[in-house]
Amino acid sequence: MRPTTTTNVVRKYSWQFSGMVAHIIQRVTGVLLLIYLFLHVHTIGELSQGQAAFDQALLMFKNPLFRLLEIGLLGLVILHALNGIRLTLIDLGLGHKRQQQLFWALSIGVAGLIFLIAAIPLFIASVLRS
Amino acid sequence: MKSYQVKIARSSADGGITRIGTFQVALEERMTVLDALFNIQRTQDDSLSFRCACRVGMCGTCAMYINSVPRLACKTQVSQLDTETVTIAPLPNLPVIKDLVVSLEPFFKQWKKIKPALHSPNRDATEPAKIPATSRYARETPQKRDCITCGICYGACGIKSTNEEYLGPAAINKAFLRLMDPRDTATEERLDVLNEERGGVWRCHTQFNCTAACPKKIDLTDTIMRLKRSMLFPSGFKKA
Repeated sequence: MRPTTTTNVVRKYSWQFSGMVAHIIQRVTGVLLLIYLFLHVHTIGELSQGQAAFDQALLMFKNPLFRLLEIGLLGLVILHALNGIRLTLIDLGLGHKRQQQLFWALSIGVAGLIFLIAAIPLFIASVLRS
Repeated sequence: MKSYQVKIARSSADGGITRIGTFQVALEERMTVLDALFNIQRTQDDSLSFRCACRVGMCGTCAMYINSVPRLACKTQVSQLDTETVTIAPLPNLPVIKDLVVSLEPFFKQWKKIKPALHSPNRDATEPAKIPATSRYARETPQKRDCITCGICYGACGIKSTNEEYLGPAAINKAFLRLMDPRDTATEERLDVLNEERGGVWRCHTQFNCTAACPKKIDLTDTIMRLKRSMLFPSGFKKA
């Protein structure tokens, strides 16, 4: 009989449902990006009120909280995009048998790597130096 | 022997879950969740209701929601769950009759929609139909034919929980098998059902829950994705 180790149990049960985790990530990041888009369009809309109104709106985004949210936005975009690529590949019948590995490697691994490469300089430049 | 705490969703006469029954059972290492249920029924509470038949994972009768995952009770060893508390509830997405017994009526209602029976033009043929081992059906469907209609994929499906009209993975898999079957001729009727806006294959959001939960390891999401791709091309299921 195969020994019952934590690794075996994790492999047998939890890992199998990574597709659902990916689905939830895609929905949550999608909704958050939609909220961001509304905010973005609203800010751009300030242009119609003249340059002073637009500058005033932009001032709000210069405080450290919004700088951090900007880095969060970067994370959302990367996660949503790479998970979307994973879904497109599966829709095309590519990598279907390895969808769990695809999720961990592409949607989490590569996304995390790209995020760190982009977020660290952004954090130094926009949060620490501001 | 190891002692486990077993929490079981108990229902009222009308099927609604009203309380959680907590039991303490001692089990040998290789004993299953079904063994635990029998132990509880015999020694602690003979009013506990659950269903089982073959006890070897062939009939699919003992499908239930064990530690938040739909599984066959007879094939789930308690020690493999790696927890001292086992939570058992009836299969989701199906109406509860009593305790862990659910009605499979909605499941088979969807199943019937895709015309599961063979529709052959040669109904009076006396010779058995020959399916060459080289045919697509023989090559590509062996594992997909293992479905035991346990309803686990139906209970695991996230789309099914929010969309009553959705056919569910098992029915779609059956339709796929019939579409691939060289003896069958009801291709158009099945494609019409599979193409329905609310209930058809396009509702699947590729969550892979059905594939992950299937006790027979049928790649149900693969079936659905293949159907989606084939349905985009009119000749996708032309009989050879």
